[in-house]
Order: sequence, then C-alpha cells, then structure tokens
Amino acid sequence: MFRRDPLADPAPLIKRVYAYAAYRLGDGPEAEDVTSETFERALRYKKSYDPRKGEPVAWLLGIAKRCIDGSWSTTEYATEGVDSVDATDLEEETIRRLTVTRAVATLDERDRELVALRYGADLTARQIAELLGARTNAVEVALHRALGRLRAVLGEEMDAEPVRKRGASQ
Amino acid sequence: MRYWRKRHEAFDLEAELRTSRPEPAPELISRLEARARDHGRSRAGSLRVAFVGALTAVMVLALASVGGVGYASSAAEDAAVSVKRVVSPSDVISVIDRSSASDQYKKPAKKKKVKAKKKGKGAKGKVKARIRPPFTG
Repeated sequence: MFRRDPLADPAPLIKRVYAYAAYRLGDGPEAEDVTSETFERALRYKKSYDPRKGEPVAWLLGIAKRCIDGSWSTTEYATEGVDSVDATDLEEETIRRLTVTRAVATLDERDRELVALRYGADLTARQIAELLGARTNAVEVALHRALGRLRAVLGEEMDAEPVRKRGASQ
Repeated sequence: MRYWRKRHEAFDLEAELRTSRPEPAPELISRLEARARDHGRSRAGSLRVAFVGALTAVMVLALASVGGVGYASSAAEDAAVSVKRVVSPSDVISVIDRSSASDQYKKPAKKKKVKAKKKGKGAKGKVKARIRPPFTG
C-alpha cells in the first residue's frame, strides 16, 4: 500500500549526484545547478520511482544524466580556477584533487560519463550497464580503457610539469 | 606535481578518483535536505488527514449497521437526565405519597366538626336535644 520514500535519506544521495555532475561538468556552480534540478525533478516525479527497477541513487543519476544531456553543454568543462592554482600554496590533498579533476576534464564525453558514474556516483559496473542500457562486460572494458587514457593524461602532465616550471623560471 | 612524482611507483588511480571525488557545499546539502523534508511533510500531512477521515467513516458505518447509533442516542439522553439531576438537586429526592408505610404510619386525620343536623322543615332557631329520659320518680 505504502511505497518506500526514495528520498528519505537525501544527504548521501546529494553527495553522489553532485560528484557525478562535477566529474562530468566540473566542480562548481554548474554541478550545483544540475544537482538542484535533479532533486526538484525527483520530488516532482517521486511517484514514478519503482524500487524493483533499482536503487534510488540509480534513479536519481538517470534524472541527472538527462538534465546534463538536455540542458548543459558537456563540451565546456568548468576548468576555470584549476589552471590558476598555485601548487606551492596548497595542501597536497588539494593538489591531488585538482590534478585528477583536470585530467578527467581532458577525457572525451563518453569516458567522462563512465568515470563519473563509477567513481563519482560510486555505482557498480552492473548498475552502470543497467543505467546506460549496455552489457556489464562492455562497461567494464570501456571503464578499463578510460582509466588507461586517464593514466596516460596524468603521465603526460607529470612529464610536462618540469618543462612548464622551467619555462616559468626563465 | 610533487605528489605524482613522490608516489609514482605505487599509484592507484581508482583510489585517487574516489578520494578526489568532488563534494558539494554544505549549504547545497542543507538546502536540498530541507526541500526534501518539507515536501515529504506536506504529503504525509494530507495522507494522515485522509486516513483519519476514512477511518471515521468506516467506524460510523459499522456502528450504524448494528444499531449503535440509536444506542448511542439513548445513552446520550440518559446522560442528559443524569446531568439534569445533578444540576437541580430538588428532583433527586422524590417522596412517594402512596406507599404501604405511609398508610400504616400516617398521621390521623383531624376530625371534622359535625354540624348539628337541622330538624325538620319547620324547626326554627336552636332546640336543645334531650339526652336523658325524663325523671319519673
């Protein structure tokens, strides 16, 4: 008779949706807008949530994905502020975070989405496959490739860093 | 990039992606939490009212089907009478006029004075009545 409320404990869901949006669009106001819009839509269409189809987080990420694909331009990744960071003034953790964010921004849209779903929203490969309508195996392979590309980007950045520093000192 | 150089050998990208996960501002979390809470509360309130209304209707129907309404009304009448008695205590003591006790122990009724009968049609004025036979001696 009574359905379980999918938004009964919203805080962890907000964090996961935001992390997904931030990995796709960049950490900042656009990710916040997507998160807000996702929750507004979720509240409006709460009746349409079917627990048999999956966890509330998967349902919310489906809404967030549609929000991003429909209204937000994913090609313009919000990298403002990332390049202007002075590494010497920041804590190691912040540097690490910004470096990873910058590396994710260089990936193409498909890879970025997979990384966002897997490591931002913390979904399993199976849940991602259900959400995207793909096979679990295909998702795992695509994720493996995306991580390889990300490693390559991070390696390039590591190689380029001394050159950049040298140029800056001259 | 000191970090990458330092930990180049044992670099776990997946762990880094998880720990470097962007986090929303606390204001955004509290705002959305409040929004979800308000939405849930208004829906729960209307559901509660509907549930109470439906339950009341079911109870009234069930009572009516077994004559409970008439019973309740007579009970209410009795209650009203009881209240009336309490409010006006003069009605509480009722004297029973005609009872076996009152027949047995009633005060003797005062004798009425018997008026002298008028004699005959022709008698006029006061006539002393003879109470003894005449002395014959």
